[in-house]
Amino acid sequence: MTVEQRRKLENLTALVLSTLAAAFGLFWLIFILGDVLVHGIGALNADLFLSDPAPPGIEGGGLRNAFVGQIMITFFATLIGVPIGVLGGTFLAEYARGTRFARIISVLSDIMVSVPSIVIGTFIYALLVRPLGHFSGWAGSIALAVIMIPVVLRTTEDMLSLVPWTLREAAFALGAPYYKVIMKVVYRGAATGILTGVLLSIARVAGETAPLLFTSFNNNFFSWDMNGPVASLTVTVFQYAMGPFEEWHTQAWAASLLITLFILAITILGRAIIKWRYRS
Amino acid sequence: MGITLRKDPIDLFFSAVTAVAACSVIAIILGIVFVLIRESSLAIGKFGFFAFLTSTDWNPVTESFGAATTIFGTIVTTVLALVIAVPTAIGIAIFVTEVAPDFLKGPIGIAIELLAAIPSIIYGMWGLFTLAPIMANHIEPALQSTVGRLPLIGILFEGTPMGIDLFTASVILSIMIIPFTASIARDSFNLTPAVVKESAYGIGATKWEVVKNIVLPYSKVGVFGGVVLSLGRALGETMAVAFVLGNSHKITSSLLDAAATITVTLANEFTEADSDVYLSSLFYLALVLFLMSFIVLAIAKFFLLRAEKRYGR
Repeated sequence: MTVEQRRKLENLTALVLSTLAAAFGLFWLIFILGDVLVHGIGALNADLFLSDPAPPGIEGGGLRNAFVGQIMITFFATLIGVPIGVLGGTFLAEYARGTRFARIISVLSDIMVSVPSIVIGTFIYALLVRPLGHFSGWAGSIALAVIMIPVVLRTTEDMLSLVPWTLREAAFALGAPYYKVIMKVVYRGAATGILTGVLLSIARVAGETAPLLFTSFNNNFFSWDMNGPVASLTVTVFQYAMGPFEEWHTQAWAASLLITLFILAITILGRAIIKWRYRS
Repeated sequence: MGITLRKDPIDLFFSAVTAVAACSVIAIILGIVFVLIRESSLAIGKFGFFAFLTSTDWNPVTESFGAATTIFGTIVTTVLALVIAVPTAIGIAIFVTEVAPDFLKGPIGIAIELLAAIPSIIYGMWGLFTLAPIMANHIEPALQSTVGRLPLIGILFEGTPMGIDLFTASVILSIMIIPFTASIARDSFNLTPAVVKESAYGIGATKWEVVKNIVLPYSKVGVFGGVVLSLGRALGETMAVAFVLGNSHKITSSLLDAAATITVTLANEFTEADSDVYLSSLFYLALVLFLMSFIVLAIAKFFLLRAEKRYGR
């Protein structure tokens, strides 16, 4: 074999292997999504949204409590986590811009984004569940908020940094104090970006199960009470999938399908917005 | 570019509020470390700081606990997942940056990243109902009758294939971390200056030679950071493995055996712990996991920052 032939063969092998790797990745995506879709779609019905769980082993019933609980927990988590994240990001990108302190917080946030979420669950359990003696929806919301803060903080910092410094200088030249420059110029310039960051952080926590296991726990009954245990779709999927009843498994697939569709929709929307807004 | 225009009292107030919000990250980290140390002090006192880490006991009845079995499970699943995921992810990154025609680059990149958006509980449930039976009925028996026959390696594939074991958990974990590794590897590859690649093509290099001799050396620090980041993620993954690992506290030589990781133990036993020592031991496990993943993630960040600094955009 000549050198040229060997090089061509090596090249071909490498390219085929990398194509196979991509096909392997796509295969799993299609396999998982397809499987969730096939199992989930047959299990969808109006009862799922309109009625509460039937006693174990009995036909029928739905997951109304878990839908409402999931929305409540995620909503309050967003309400707590987003303002703190946005304000923190503002500090890093504006008042503390370029300082060592800002870099340290930025790096720590990046690390916190990937820290095991189950550890956050144990932390909030020790802080809010054990001292009060009961699981609560608030504890679940706060656990999710703790996960959201670093995510929102980092995206806010990045988005504010994209706003050209000259825009701020123009506002300073008109005599505006810094907080007004931030509110009227910087936030406006970065609004789409921050909103996308918020969307993606909601997608991030909406699928979280581990931090809710020991905080909001689960509840087989419909409840608006954030001071007591609150059901969530994800924890319900965990409980139902591990349970012995066929009916539970079917409902777990349906819930999985809805969670997946919701999160994929938000993720795709977020990416589309970023692409549209920051095409350069 | 720091600015000193703090004459306005509202401005002072607003900057203070944002500063407090930024410090919340530090407060959370210190809070986690402090609370977990406080809660685990009972177990540390009773079993000893290091003795707990090396003890293979896990017996709620006699209230004797140790972390060795769960640390073993955590490390085995993580390492095995990386062994599967890293070559695949680098292959994907090569495909997306160099091989794929332009109209495919975007869509395939997005598709791989969607894998990362699927919540881990979905992976877990899919693993339990779909992957585990396939593993038990087809893949694991096939492995046993091929590589399982080999001396030495055969030990890894002993036992009855049930599908609920270290191997299945690692496969699911690897599918989960492929997207992280692939997207960081892709970003690192893209930092290679086009001029250098073009010069290589100009003297007649093949695509693979460009990747091997130009792109990989250029991006190795970033790719390595991405691999370590995936390692950190895999250490702390809970729901994807909770369904298919069996939560059995033992150190086994076979990958076809049930085992436990720190995360799986926490998920299964935390709300059932009926004594103070039991709960405290679980908190100690959480502390060990937090420190392990924090250190690994910090190392990953260090390499990613170095890569960025060197070839910064």
